[in-house]
Amino acid sequence: MKGLLKGMGVTLKTMTKKKVTHKYPDEPIRMPDRFRGIQHFDPEKCIVCNQCVRVCPTDCISLTGRKHPDPGKRGKIIDTYDINFEICILCDLCTEVCPTEAVVMTRNFELATYTRDDLYKNLEWLHENDSGIRSENNLNARGVKK
Amino acid sequence: MDINREGILPVEEEELKRNVFTTTLENVKAWARSNSLWPMTFGLACCAIEMMGTGAAHYDLDRFGSFFRASPRQSDVMIVAGTVTKKMGPLLRRLYDQMPEPKWVISMGSCATAGGPYVKSYSVIKGVDQIVPVDVYIPGCPPNPAALIYGINKLQEKIRYEARTGRKVTDR
Repeated sequence: MKGLLKGMGVTLKTMTKKKVTHKYPDEPIRMPDRFRGIQHFDPEKCIVCNQCVRVCPTDCISLTGRKHPDPGKRGKIIDTYDINFEICILCDLCTEVCPTEAVVMTRNFELATYTRDDLYKNLEWLHENDSGIRSENNLNARGVKK
Repeated sequence: MDINREGILPVEEEELKRNVFTTTLENVKAWARSNSLWPMTFGLACCAIEMMGTGAAHYDLDRFGSFFRASPRQSDVMIVAGTVTKKMGPLLRRLYDQMPEPKWVISMGSCATAGGPYVKSYSVIKGVDQIVPVDVYIPGCPPNPAALIYGINKLQEKIRYEARTGRKVTDR
Protein backbone atom coordinates (compact mmCIF):
# COMPACT_ATOMS: atom_id res chain seq x y z
CA MET A 1 0.00 0.00 0.00
CA LYS A 2 2.82 2.35 0.90
CA GLY A 3 4.58 1.43 -2.34
CA LEU A 4 1.46 2.19 -4.37
CA LEU A 5 1.12 5.62 -2.78
CA LYS A 6 4.78 6.30 -3.43
CA GLY A 7 4.38 5.35 -7.07
CA MET A 8 1.26 7.46 -7.51
CA GLY A 9 3.09 10.36 -5.88
CA VAL A 10 5.79 10.17 -8.52
CA THR A 11 3.13 10.01 -11.23
CA LEU A 12 1.30 13.07 -9.91
CA LYS A 13 4.54 14.99 -9.53
CA THR A 14 5.54 14.21 -13.12
CA MET A 15 2.13 15.27 -14.44
CA THR A 16 2.71 18.86 -13.42
CA LYS A 17 6.23 19.03 -14.83
CA LYS A 18 7.09 20.51 -18.22
CA LYS A 19 7.25 18.01 -21.07
CA VAL A 20 10.77 17.16 -22.19
CA THR A 21 9.96 16.27 -25.79
CA HIS A 22 11.15 18.77 -28.42
CA LYS A 23 8.49 19.66 -30.97
CA TYR A 24 11.24 19.52 -33.56
CA PRO A 25 9.79 19.67 -37.08
CA ASP A 26 7.10 22.13 -35.96
CA GLU A 27 9.42 24.32 -33.93
CA PRO A 28 13.04 24.86 -34.99
CA ILE A 29 15.58 23.48 -32.58
CA ARG A 30 18.55 25.64 -31.65
CA MET A 31 21.74 23.71 -31.29
CA PRO A 32 24.35 24.79 -28.74
CA ASP A 33 27.01 27.24 -29.81
CA ARG A 34 29.77 24.66 -29.88
CA PHE A 35 27.72 22.36 -32.11
CA ARG A 36 29.53 21.19 -35.25
CA GLY A 37 27.26 21.59 -38.22
CA ILE A 38 28.30 22.27 -41.79
CA GLN A 39 31.05 24.78 -42.49
CA HIS A 40 30.65 28.35 -43.68
CA PHE A 41 33.33 29.65 -46.04
CA ASP A 42 34.32 33.24 -46.73
CA PRO A 43 36.33 33.49 -49.98
CA GLU A 44 37.49 37.02 -49.20
CA LYS A 45 39.36 35.93 -46.08
CA CYS A 46 40.96 32.83 -47.56
CA ILE A 47 44.68 33.17 -48.29
CA VAL A 48 45.01 29.76 -50.01
CA CYS A 49 47.44 28.43 -47.41
CA ASN A 50 46.20 24.87 -48.00
CA GLN A 51 46.36 24.04 -44.31
CA CYS A 52 42.76 22.81 -44.09
CA VAL A 53 43.36 20.44 -46.99
CA ARG A 54 46.45 19.02 -45.33
CA VAL A 55 44.92 18.65 -41.88
CA CYS A 56 41.67 17.03 -43.03
CA PRO A 57 41.76 13.41 -41.80
CA THR A 58 39.52 12.13 -44.58
CA ASP A 59 40.86 14.40 -47.37
CA CYS A 60 37.39 15.71 -48.07
CA ILE A 61 38.46 19.32 -48.78
CA SER A 62 39.92 20.31 -52.13
CA LEU A 63 40.78 23.84 -53.21
CA THR A 64 42.51 25.68 -56.00
CA GLY A 65 43.86 29.21 -55.99
CA ARG A 66 45.59 31.55 -58.36
CA LYS A 67 47.93 34.52 -58.11
CA HIS A 68 46.40 37.82 -57.11
CA PRO A 69 45.16 39.56 -60.32
CA ASP A 70 46.57 42.88 -59.09
CA PRO A 71 50.33 42.58 -59.85
CA GLY A 72 51.23 44.96 -57.05
CA LYS A 73 49.78 42.69 -54.37
CA ARG A 74 51.37 39.59 -52.98
CA GLY A 75 49.59 36.36 -52.14
CA LYS A 76 46.89 34.29 -53.74
CA ILE A 77 43.13 34.31 -54.06
CA ILE A 78 40.77 31.36 -53.94
CA ASP A 79 39.31 29.89 -57.14
CA THR A 80 37.40 26.82 -56.03
CA TYR A 81 36.72 25.36 -52.61
CA ASP A 82 34.89 22.06 -52.37
CA ILE A 83 33.97 19.99 -49.35
CA ASN A 84 32.91 16.43 -49.98
CA PHE A 85 30.39 16.34 -47.17
CA GLU A 86 29.78 12.61 -47.71
CA ILE A 87 32.96 11.79 -45.84
CA CYS A 88 33.35 14.93 -43.72
CA ILE A 89 33.41 13.75 -40.12
CA LEU A 90 32.95 17.25 -38.65
CA CYS A 91 36.12 16.99 -36.62
CA ASP A 92 36.48 20.81 -36.60
CA LEU A 93 40.20 20.59 -37.47
CA CYS A 94 39.84 22.71 -40.63
CA THR A 95 38.30 25.56 -38.68
CA GLU A 96 40.86 25.26 -35.89
CA VAL A 97 43.80 25.38 -38.25
CA CYS A 98 42.51 28.22 -40.43
CA PRO A 99 44.69 31.29 -39.69
CA THR A 100 42.18 33.84 -41.03
CA GLU A 101 38.95 32.13 -39.92
CA ALA A 102 37.85 31.84 -43.52
CA VAL A 103 36.26 28.49 -42.81
CA VAL A 104 34.09 28.40 -39.68
CA MET A 105 31.53 26.06 -38.18
CA THR A 106 27.79 26.72 -38.21
CA ARG A 107 25.09 24.95 -36.27
CA ASN A 108 23.05 23.93 -39.33
CA PHE A 109 22.31 20.23 -39.43
CA GLU A 110 19.36 19.84 -41.80
CA LEU A 111 21.33 18.26 -44.61
CA ALA A 112 19.56 15.02 -45.52
CA THR A 113 19.36 14.52 -49.31
CA TYR A 114 17.98 12.07 -51.82
CA THR A 115 21.22 11.77 -53.78
CA ARG A 116 24.86 11.59 -52.84
CA ASP A 117 25.69 14.24 -55.44
CA ASP A 118 23.99 16.91 -53.33
CA LEU A 119 26.49 16.29 -50.56
CA TYR A 120 29.34 17.80 -52.61
CA LYS A 121 29.34 21.37 -51.36
CA ASN A 122 31.08 23.99 -53.49
CA LEU A 123 32.31 27.50 -52.74
CA GLU A 124 29.01 29.22 -53.54
CA TRP A 125 26.98 26.90 -51.37
CA LEU A 126 29.37 27.18 -48.45
CA HIS A 127 29.47 30.96 -48.76
CA GLU A 128 25.68 31.20 -48.74
CA ASN A 129 25.53 28.96 -45.69
CA ASP A 130 25.97 31.97 -43.42
CA SER A 131 23.38 31.42 -40.69
CA GLY A 132 24.10 30.15 -37.22
CA ILE A 133 27.84 30.73 -37.29
CA ARG A 134 29.61 29.97 -34.04
CA SER A 135 29.63 33.20 -32.04
CA GLU A 136 33.35 33.22 -31.25
CA ASN A 137 34.06 33.24 -34.98
CA ASN A 138 31.28 35.67 -35.73
CA LEU A 139 32.78 38.61 -33.81
CA ASN A 140 34.80 40.07 -36.64
CA ALA A 141 32.90 38.53 -39.52
CA ARG A 142 31.94 41.18 -42.04
CA GLY A 143 28.63 41.20 -43.89
CA VAL A 144 27.46 38.06 -42.16
CA LYS A 145 24.03 37.59 -40.68
CA LYS A 146 24.08 36.31 -37.16
CA MET B 1 -16.21 11.55 -64.11
CA ASP B 2 -19.40 13.55 -63.95
CA ILE B 3 -21.95 13.15 -61.21
CA ASN B 4 -25.62 13.78 -61.57
CA ARG B 5 -26.13 17.25 -60.13
CA GLU B 6 -29.90 17.37 -60.69
CA GLY B 7 -31.90 18.05 -57.60
CA ILE B 8 -28.93 19.43 -55.70
CA LEU B 9 -29.41 23.01 -54.59
CA PRO B 10 -26.49 25.43 -54.96
CA VAL B 11 -26.35 25.73 -51.17
CA GLU B 12 -26.10 22.00 -50.85
CA GLU B 13 -23.41 21.87 -53.52
CA GLU B 14 -21.32 24.37 -51.57
CA GLU B 15 -21.82 22.23 -48.49
CA LEU B 16 -20.68 19.14 -50.42
CA LYS B 17 -17.58 20.92 -51.70
CA ARG B 18 -16.65 21.81 -48.16
CA ASN B 19 -17.25 18.37 -46.66
CA VAL B 20 -16.56 15.73 -49.31
CA PHE B 21 -13.14 15.37 -50.81
CA THR B 22 -11.82 12.75 -53.16
CA THR B 23 -8.39 11.25 -53.62
CA THR B 24 -6.76 8.29 -55.26
CA LEU B 25 -6.09 4.97 -53.59
CA GLU B 26 -2.37 5.47 -54.18
CA ASN B 27 -2.41 8.69 -52.20
CA VAL B 28 -4.26 7.06 -49.33
CA LYS B 29 -1.77 4.20 -49.34
CA ALA B 30 1.15 6.62 -49.34
CA TRP B 31 -0.41 8.63 -46.52
CA ALA B 32 -0.86 5.48 -44.45
CA ARG B 33 2.60 4.14 -45.23
CA SER B 34 4.42 7.39 -44.62
CA ASN B 35 2.77 7.82 -41.25
CA SER B 36 3.58 4.34 -40.00
CA LEU B 37 7.20 3.87 -41.03
CA TRP B 38 8.46 1.10 -38.81
CA PRO B 39 12.23 1.15 -38.87
CA MET B 40 14.39 -1.86 -38.32
CA THR B 41 17.00 -1.44 -35.64
CA PHE B 42 20.15 -1.76 -37.66
CA GLY B 43 22.66 -0.13 -35.36
CA LEU B 44 26.25 -0.89 -36.27
CA ALA B 45 28.26 1.86 -34.58
CA CYS B 46 28.00 5.15 -32.73
CA CYS B 47 25.17 6.34 -35.04
CA ALA B 48 23.04 3.70 -33.31
CA ILE B 49 23.38 5.65 -30.06
CA GLU B 50 21.89 8.69 -31.77
CA MET B 51 19.20 6.48 -33.28
CA MET B 52 18.32 5.23 -29.79
CA GLY B 53 18.29 8.83 -28.60
CA THR B 54 15.83 9.66 -31.36
CA GLY B 55 13.54 6.95 -30.07
CA ALA B 56 13.80 8.16 -26.49
CA ALA B 57 11.78 10.80 -24.65
CA HIS B 58 13.46 13.99 -25.82
CA TYR B 59 12.99 13.44 -29.54
CA ASP B 60 10.34 10.71 -29.47
CA LEU B 61 10.18 9.05 -32.86
CA ASP B 62 6.78 7.59 -31.91
CA ARG B 63 5.28 10.98 -32.75
CA PHE B 64 5.75 10.13 -36.44
CA GLY B 65 4.34 6.63 -36.12
CA SER B 66 7.78 5.06 -36.21
CA PHE B 67 8.26 2.18 -33.83
CA PHE B 68 11.50 0.26 -33.86
CA ARG B 69 11.05 -3.39 -34.73
CA ALA B 70 13.62 -6.05 -34.02
CA SER B 71 12.64 -8.19 -36.98
CA PRO B 72 13.00 -7.42 -40.71
CA ARG B 73 9.69 -9.16 -41.39
CA GLN B 74 7.81 -6.47 -39.51
CA SER B 75 9.64 -3.38 -40.71
CA ASP B 76 9.22 -0.96 -43.61
CA VAL B 77 12.41 1.07 -43.46
CA MET B 78 15.94 0.06 -42.67
CA ILE B 79 18.00 2.77 -40.98
CA VAL B 80 21.57 1.73 -41.65
CA ALA B 81 23.27 3.46 -38.75
CA GLY B 82 26.99 2.94 -38.75
CA THR B 83 29.98 1.45 -40.50
CA VAL B 84 29.15 -1.41 -42.85
CA THR B 85 32.16 -3.70 -43.10
CA LYS B 86 32.68 -6.13 -45.95
CA LYS B 87 31.90 -8.93 -43.50
CA MET B 88 28.56 -7.30 -42.61
CA GLY B 89 27.60 -6.52 -46.23
CA PRO B 90 26.02 -9.91 -47.16
CA LEU B 91 24.10 -9.97 -43.89
CA LEU B 92 22.75 -6.47 -44.54
CA ARG B 93 21.62 -7.56 -47.99
CA ARG B 94 19.95 -10.66 -46.56
CA LEU B 95 18.07 -8.61 -43.95
CA TYR B 96 17.00 -6.20 -46.69
CA ASP B 97 15.73 -9.10 -48.79
CA GLN B 98 13.76 -10.42 -45.82
CA MET B 99 11.85 -7.15 -45.44
CA PRO B 100 8.40 -7.16 -47.05
CA GLU B 101 7.61 -4.71 -49.86
CA PRO B 102 7.27 -1.73 -49.88
CA LYS B 103 10.60 -1.05 -48.24
CA TRP B 104 12.94 1.89 -47.95
CA VAL B 105 16.47 2.46 -46.76
CA ILE B 106 17.90 5.44 -44.89
CA SER B 107 21.66 5.74 -44.86
CA MET B 108 22.52 7.45 -41.60
CA GLY B 109 25.91 9.01 -41.08
CA SER B 110 29.07 9.41 -43.08
CA CYS B 111 30.12 5.77 -42.70
CA ALA B 112 26.99 4.30 -44.23
CA THR B 113 26.87 7.00 -46.92
CA ALA B 114 30.44 6.87 -48.18
CA GLY B 115 32.76 5.23 -45.70
CA GLY B 116 33.32 8.32 -43.57
CA PRO B 117 36.55 8.20 -41.57
CA TYR B 118 37.19 4.69 -42.88
CA VAL B 119 37.21 5.84 -46.49
CA LYS B 120 40.76 4.54 -46.96
CA SER B 121 40.16 1.29 -45.11
CA TYR B 122 40.46 -2.11 -46.77
CA SER B 123 37.57 -3.69 -44.90
CA VAL B 124 34.76 -1.13 -45.07
CA ILE B 125 32.10 -0.82 -47.78
CA LYS B 126 32.32 2.74 -49.13
CA GLY B 127 28.66 3.51 -49.24
CA VAL B 128 25.81 1.19 -48.38
CA ASP B 129 24.22 2.04 -51.75
CA GLN B 130 26.59 -0.48 -53.30
CA ILE B 131 24.51 -3.30 -51.83
CA VAL B 132 21.01 -1.90 -51.20
CA PRO B 133 19.10 0.98 -52.85
CA VAL B 134 19.16 3.99 -50.55
CA ASP B 135 16.37 6.58 -50.45
CA VAL B 136 17.68 9.23 -48.06
CA TYR B 137 21.25 10.04 -47.13
CA ILE B 138 21.88 11.81 -43.82
CA PRO B 139 25.41 13.23 -43.50
CA GLY B 140 27.04 13.84 -40.14
CA CYS B 141 29.34 12.00 -37.85
CA PRO B 142 27.06 11.07 -36.20
CA PRO B 143 23.96 13.04 -37.25
CA ASN B 144 22.17 14.33 -34.18
CA PRO B 145 18.64 13.05 -33.46
CA ALA B 146 17.03 16.13 -35.01
CA ALA B 147 18.93 15.48 -38.25
CA LEU B 148 17.60 11.91 -38.25
CA ILE B 149 14.07 13.22 -37.75
CA TYR B 150 14.66 15.59 -40.66
CA GLY B 151 15.77 12.65 -42.79
CA ILE B 152 12.72 10.60 -41.82
CA ASN B 153 10.49 13.54 -42.71
CA LYS B 154 12.27 13.76 -46.08
CA LEU B 155 11.52 10.08 -46.63
CA GLN B 156 7.84 10.62 -45.77
CA GLU B 157 7.75 13.47 -48.28
CA LYS B 158 9.35 11.22 -50.88
CA ILE B 159 6.79 8.45 -50.33
CA ARG B 160 3.91 10.90 -50.80
CA TYR B 161 5.59 12.50 -53.81
CA GLU B 162 6.15 9.12 -55.45
CA ALA B 163 2.50 8.21 -54.94
CA ARG B 164 1.51 11.31 -56.92
CA THR B 165 4.05 11.00 -59.71
CA GLY B 166 5.04 7.35 -59.81
CA ARG B 167 8.15 5.69 -58.46
CA LYS B 168 11.16 6.68 -60.50
CA VAL B 169 14.64 8.01 -60.13
CA THR B 170 14.54 11.69 -59.24
CA ASP B 171 17.18 14.23 -58.39
CA ARG B 172 14.94 16.08 -55.98
